[in-house]
Amino acid sequence: MIAVEHLRKEFSYYKKATGIKGSLQNVFHRETLTKEAVRDISFSVEKGEMIGFLGPNGAGKTTTLKMLSGILYPTGGKVEIDGFIPWERKNEFKRRISIVMGQKNQLWWDLPASDSFYLNKCIFGVDDGTYRDVVTELAELLDVRELLNVQVRRLSLGERMKMELLAALIHQPDILFLDEPTIGLDILSQKKIREFLRIYNQQRKTTVIITSHYMADIEALCRRAVIINQGQLVYDGQLGDINRVLGERKLLSVKTSGEVNEKQWENFGRVREISAAGAVLEVPQEKVKAVLGAILSGLPVEDFTVTEIPIEESIARFYQKEVATI
Amino acid sequence: MRGLGYYCRLMGVFVKYSLMSALEYRANFIAGMTVEMGWMIIKLLYVAIIYKAGTSIGILTPDHILLFVGTYIFMTGIFMLYFGNFNALPGMIQQGELDLYIVKPVSLQFLVTMRRLEFAYMLPNLVAGTVMIVTGWRLAGLPADPFFVAGFLFFLVCGCLLSYSLFLLPYLLAFWIVSLGGIVDIANAMWDFNNMPSMIYGKWGRRIGTYVLPIFVITNFPGLFLMGELGLGACLWGAGAPVLFFIISRRLWKMALKKYSSASS
Repeated sequence: MIAVEHLRKEFSYYKKATGIKGSLQNVFHRETLTKEAVRDISFSVEKGEMIGFLGPNGAGKTTTLKMLSGILYPTGGKVEIDGFIPWERKNEFKRRISIVMGQKNQLWWDLPASDSFYLNKCIFGVDDGTYRDVVTELAELLDVRELLNVQVRRLSLGERMKMELLAALIHQPDILFLDEPTIGLDILSQKKIREFLRIYNQQRKTTVIITSHYMADIEALCRRAVIINQGQLVYDGQLGDINRVLGERKLLSVKTSGEVNEKQWENFGRVREISAAGAVLEVPQEKVKAVLGAILSGLPVEDFTVTEIPIEESIARFYQKEVATI
Repeated sequence: MRGLGYYCRLMGVFVKYSLMSALEYRANFIAGMTVEMGWMIIKLLYVAIIYKAGTSIGILTPDHILLFVGTYIFMTGIFMLYFGNFNALPGMIQQGELDLYIVKPVSLQFLVTMRRLEFAYMLPNLVAGTVMIVTGWRLAGLPADPFFVAGFLFFLVCGCLLSYSLFLLPYLLAFWIVSLGGIVDIANAMWDFNNMPSMIYGKWGRRIGTYVLPIFVITNFPGLFLMGELGLGACLWGAGAPVLFFIISRRLWKMALKKYSSASS
């Protein structure tokens, strides 16, 4: 289990004015400033849970993951993972976790990925039989069996990320931190990695915390989302409940046989899209029935659909701080 | 705490992988060896001049000097084997590349400072250094019984540990000041103070270089031991300094690591 309480991280940096004058001033005097990357975050994750850790760029997601994995010391707060404090960096703790960062790699560039797997086997002290079984099973699941003996530098980005994942799982960690594991990958590779993570989590009950800017990753894998913005936690709950927290609204797409002007549409709700063939309106859920009745009786309706507001859009509202912190 | 066997096994893997990686780029491997041989020839010219002039430095005849310079070249080979890792450290800190090493259940210092080994730089120095040591030893008529051979090898091993610990220290400053090209240049220049026996330096220079920043211990003590010029105190310092500086480097490494702030993603 992961328990995070009032976690904080500050970085100090110094200000520099542009140009050579600023650089010269810096030689003699530097004004030190402090940036609060993570501000008083608390949440917990149960064993086997897979949660989406979301936020805009610079929100503090990666910094939080680095503190959870013991890479960074926090400025304040507590984290306990299966009884361990991550930044004490005990070997027993390190054997239980693994972290994959989409923008960093641990594989030896000039050698086949299987050599890097073997090095991890030696570092983690995995026995020969388990090592063989794990590599065979994961290579099969990730569809990379044929690529195990190809030098890493000759692999595509997608293939390389699959190998990075495999390397990170050689020691069969209980907890897996994934920081944008599908960044820059094509749709097929993204899908394959998502599928792999889903099966892996189901089979091994590995606890997974994943950050991603691709909502498809989060929707496919996580039931729960933790959203942070500017270092603060703004949402922690079921992914499907985000719309409700934001004030449940529906999208009403109406197709008409004749043109309806904008003023008329505005009588029924907020107009999001309009064309000669119809419009898309945003309507509070409790009013959907009434609005629909009025539209059907007053406008030349050919067809209509009622849908949820896309989750991506709801999350973007958290990013834009349209809602108060919960 | 992991045992010696565990680290020897890992070292074996690093040796194998470094060699495999180097051989992927044959031309670069050969070019590296050629450049290193060029540097070595420059160092050998000093000895050639001394031989030609028949100059002695204090009690050191040209044959003794050949032995000392040979030891220096040999130690340079050992140092060059892992030096690339030291050089890469500031960049790794700046780019946040330590992240994926920190989470491994192994000594981070070992992993970061030993993972890539440069055989192209090591081999010419090691071969030439060995030949010069053996030749100088024989020509100078120094004792070659098991006691002296063991003592010489002991001080060579001490020198290896001391050069690792001492020259790692300036690189650790990168955790605080990130960019340290100037400091590193000074440190590297200090290594070259050893390209001649320490006896060419004045009394105070020798004392500072032996007891404050013990760079002379690295390459002079094996030869001085053979010549019977190391008193008991010096012998103890020769054995203790590597341990002392290794402990200092370990402490500083652990302190430095707390300053590690990674890099933004």
